[in-house]
Amino acid sequence: MSQRIPLAWLQLKHEKMKLFAAVAGVMVSVVLMWMQLGLMNALFASAVVFHGSLDGELAVIHSQYEHLLHSKAYSSRLLYRLCGSPEVASVSAISAALVEWKNPWNGEMRSMQCYGIETDKSCLNLPGLAEQLHRLRNTDEFLYDKLARPRFGDVVGAHEHRELVEPEINRRKMKLAGTIDLGASFGVDGNLLVSHANFLRLFPARKSGAIDVGVVKLQPGTDVEEAREHFQSMLGKEVKVLTRKQYADVELAYWKSATPIGIVFSAGTAVGFFIGFIVVYQILYTDVSNHLPHYATMKAMGFSTRYLYRLIIEQSVQLAVLGFVPGTILAALLYAVLRKLTQLPLIVEPTRGVALAVVTVLMCVFSGMLAVRKLNSADPADVF
Amino acid sequence: MEQNSTPIEPVIRGEGINFAFGQGELRKQILFDVQLQIQPGEIVLLTGPSGSGKTTLLTLIAGLRTLQEGRLEVLGHSLSNASEADLLTLRRKIGFIFQAHNLLPYLTALQNVQVMFDLHPEVSAKDGRDRAIAMLNQVGLGERLNYAVARLSGGQKQRVAIARALVGSPQIVLADEPTAALDGTSGREVVNLLQALAREHKRPILMVTHDARVLDIADRIIEMQDGRLVTDSASLHRVKQPYSKETGDERHLAAVTV
Repeated sequence: MSQRIPLAWLQLKHEKMKLFAAVAGVMVSVVLMWMQLGLMNALFASAVVFHGSLDGELAVIHSQYEHLLHSKAYSSRLLYRLCGSPEVASVSAISAALVEWKNPWNGEMRSMQCYGIETDKSCLNLPGLAEQLHRLRNTDEFLYDKLARPRFGDVVGAHEHRELVEPEINRRKMKLAGTIDLGASFGVDGNLLVSHANFLRLFPARKSGAIDVGVVKLQPGTDVEEAREHFQSMLGKEVKVLTRKQYADVELAYWKSATPIGIVFSAGTAVGFFIGFIVVYQILYTDVSNHLPHYATMKAMGFSTRYLYRLIIEQSVQLAVLGFVPGTILAALLYAVLRKLTQLPLIVEPTRGVALAVVTVLMCVFSGMLAVRKLNSADPADVF
Repeated sequence: MEQNSTPIEPVIRGEGINFAFGQGELRKQILFDVQLQIQPGEIVLLTGPSGSGKTTLLTLIAGLRTLQEGRLEVLGHSLSNASEADLLTLRRKIGFIFQAHNLLPYLTALQNVQVMFDLHPEVSAKDGRDRAIAMLNQVGLGERLNYAVARLSGGQKQRVAIARALVGSPQIVLADEPTAALDGTSGREVVNLLQALAREHKRPILMVTHDARVLDIADRIIEMQDGRLVTDSASLHRVKQPYSKETGDERHLAAVTV
């Protein structure tokens, strides 16, 4: 009890309605920023789920590769040249192309991304895939992306009820063998996995041995960058050898330049910031105005202007904290709802939380610094 | 410059103070050649009709307005060309009592007094609290320490204000019509309390008032009219000897300026 008087806080909480309004303002701003940043990052993250799941340290793509939906195939013979290198543990190939899915319930045609993968070794690190790989060896069987958007029909529900699902894919009758989690992204609403043999059945015009992504698993303890450079020089200019991270960056760079997503959501975040800024400024400004006689009294009694500045800045930090915590909780709830609706990987990332907390405090302190100028009109000579 | 102080060094010494509001055609002079001295321990009332310049003089002494002409020394600080920092230092040595108590409404009685120690970081929070409680006990509010300001009566609020003014051991108390907002009885109580505490701690008081009922507490009453000191009477109770010379001077001056 023998602490200094928490003057800033006592003043702030004296008028409950105003405090509530200010906190609500900060909260709205925090939620807005979380949503904008979250959606932006989720959209970008969704574009590289595939890249992240590659079961290997290095990826080999055609040098004219733009993005997954517009990949350029190259000969698998080039990739298999790496098999002889002592650093390599295994090499596998993935083909990728869009297929036409005919909804078995209403007959609507939809595009889906289809990956042809190897069935005798792991090239994608997806939960449950290894146990289902053997099913893909059967003719015309496929694995369905559980996180695909619902427009393809209730494939998952039917599968859970052990109903037979036999949609037409690229005008070929296929059979559902199981499900995996991959997720929708910018360009695609869902994914399918098939074996290389079945991939060629879906794309009769495609040359056998044409692949889109090569996955290289290195021996444990190998220097990844060294191996990458070595393989790049071995394979020449037709392909690019990239680390998994670099490969994902190629994909992101494309989507960042090709879509206005970065700009749109950054602008949205800025709007959130300014809403909070204006609200807090308005509240602090009227608060300072209402308390002018008190500030004038305090100035007269010998309190310095700096003391009063600090008082107001302290209040703005308190508003920031009070708004940030519930704002973040609300954002987490909204994330959960949106995750369900959109299948986008929306998550409350701690690092982004810290950054947003800093931004929120800055936002409030800037408004405080602006509102503080009103203090100059507190003339201590007026108190007599 | 006043450091070689003898016991009779005045706490306030003003000479030839002129003060005006506005500029050019709108200029209105409020104070004319004001001269005054206040000795340590004195209780001085400054009276006069409204508009006579009492409050303006008080704000000048408090370092709340910039001195325009003349000399003014308060507690050894010369107020000619004083910087804002100097004025702040001076004001921290002054106990202020305002007409409308001016307590912070969002604090309790105790907190209102305690907060003054934010001006005195050398006093620990615990000491500050103890001294604030002791002070409130002295003004008879020991039972109401944690009352919100709104729950105190007018007289009680003004007593909290007195406790707040005195808790930092000021070297002078400046009071502006402390009884104006109070009924006769509470006004009397407040003034008696102020007088008793001032005597006990040997603090000089300069009080602006036109409440005729409280004039008897003064050692001296200075009357102002139209910006000039017109009378300076040593009053009813014990007159203090050492400054008889100065009072003489002031009478002389009053005669000149009227």
